[in-house]
Amino acid sequence: MNLDLIVFLVLLVLGYVFGQIAEKRHFKSIIEREKALRDVLCFNERHIPDLGPADTTLVAGSVVVSIDYFKRFVAGLRNLVGGRMNAYESLLERARREATLRMKEEARARGATSVWNVRLETASIYKGARQDVGSVEVVAYGTARIPR
Amino acid sequence: MNYENPEIPEGINVTPEHPLKEFAVLLVGVSTAIVVAVVALSLLAGYMVRFVPFAQEQALASRAGTLWQGVVLDEEAQSKQHYLQSLADRLSVHMALPEGMTITVHYVDEPTVNAMATLGGHVVIFQGLIDAVPSENALAMVMAHEIAHVQHRHPIVALGRGFAVALALSSLSGVGDGMMQQWLGSVGMVTSLSFSRAQEAESDLDALQALQQEYGHVGGAEAFFEYVMDGGHWLEPPALLSTHPGTEDRIERIRAFAREHPAVNPKLVPLPTGM
Repeated sequence: MNLDLIVFLVLLVLGYVFGQIAEKRHFKSIIEREKALRDVLCFNERHIPDLGPADTTLVAGSVVVSIDYFKRFVAGLRNLVGGRMNAYESLLERARREATLRMKEEARARGATSVWNVRLETASIYKGARQDVGSVEVVAYGTARIPR
Repeated sequence: MNYENPEIPEGINVTPEHPLKEFAVLLVGVSTAIVVAVVALSLLAGYMVRFVPFAQEQALASRAGTLWQGVVLDEEAQSKQHYLQSLADRLSVHMALPEGMTITVHYVDEPTVNAMATLGGHVVIFQGLIDAVPSENALAMVMAHEIAHVQHRHPIVALGRGFAVALALSSLSGVGDGMMQQWLGSVGMVTSLSFSRAQEAESDLDALQALQQEYGHVGGAEAFFEYVMDGGHWLEPPALLSTHPGTEDRIERIRAFAREHPAVNPKLVPLPTGM
C-alpha cells in the first residue's frame, strides 16, 4: 500500500472522529445558549411596531465554519451521483443558528429585548481553482429595539 | 398584537442517518462503477491494440530506451547470447508465430533471477535465471513462455491497456478535489493489476506444447518453479497483487500436462558448458 493512501486513510479517520466530536459539542452549546437567549425575540418584520418609547441600533453576528475531511470526502462522492447533501446540511444549520445567537448576544449586551428585520446572508469560501466548498460564512443582522 | 418566538423542534434540517452509512453506500457504489468502467475500457483497448501491425510495434520498441541498448557484450556473453538465440529459434518453429514476427533474445549479465518479454519481440534473459535452472529443458520452458507472450502480443496489449486506463483516470482530474482523485486512481490501479494472470496461464500452456514438440516430453519444465518455491530468491507477492499465477498452481499445471502426454523415454538435455 502506498504512503499517500495511508495518509489519506489516517486523515479520513481523524476527520471523522474530530468532526463528529466538534459537531456534537457545537450542537449542545447552541441548544443551551438558545435556551438562555430565548427572551431576546427575533422577527423578520421590517417595521417595528409601536410598543412604547425605545432606541434602535444595528446588531450583527457572523460565523465561519468548516466541515471536516471526512465529510468533505463524502460530499465529493455525493457530488458524483447527486442527492441530499447531508454533510453540508448540518454545517449550514450550525452556521445559521450560531450567527443568530451571536447577533442575539450583541443585542442582549446592548440591553435590547427584541431584534427586528432580521436577515441572514451566506457566503461560501472557495479554496483556489478547484472551487470546492470547504467552509461557509453566515452573517445575521437586524435592528435591535432597546426599551428606554 | 402579541409577538413571540415559538420553540422550534430539533432535527428539522439534520438527517438522522448515520454518516458512516452514507459513506459506505457511496464508496461501494462509486468504486464499483469505476472498476466496471475501467475493466470495460481496458478490455476494449486490449482488443483494439492487437490490430497494430507488428512492424509498428518493433518501430515503437526501437525508439524506446531499453535495458540492452548501448551494452557491448564481451566474447563470452556473445556466445551465451548466441546460444540463447538459437534456443529461441528452435522453440519458435513449434510456436506458429504470425508472419513477420521475429524473436530477438538479449542476454544480460546480472544476478537477477528473471526473464521478460517486451515490445517488438525482444526477450531478455538474465544470468541469474541461467544459474538457477538445472537443464536446458527448464530454461526452454521459461524461454518458450516468454516467446508465447510475444506471440499473443501481450506486451503491446499491456501497454495499450495501461495507456487507456491512465488516460481515463487522468481525465477524471476535473472530478472532485485532490483526495477524491487519489481514491479514484487507487481503485483504478487495483483493477489493472490482476489482468494478465489469464495471459500468463495461456503462455504457460503454449510453452508446454512447444517443449513437448521440441524434446518429446515436458520433463524438467517445472524445475525453475520448484527452484522459486524452495529458494525464496523470488519474493512472491500476495496472489491479488501478483500478475503471475501462484507458483504452486503453475507446477501443478505442468504436472497435469505431463500426465496427459506420457513420455516414452524422458531425457533431460544439459545446458552447454560455460553457461
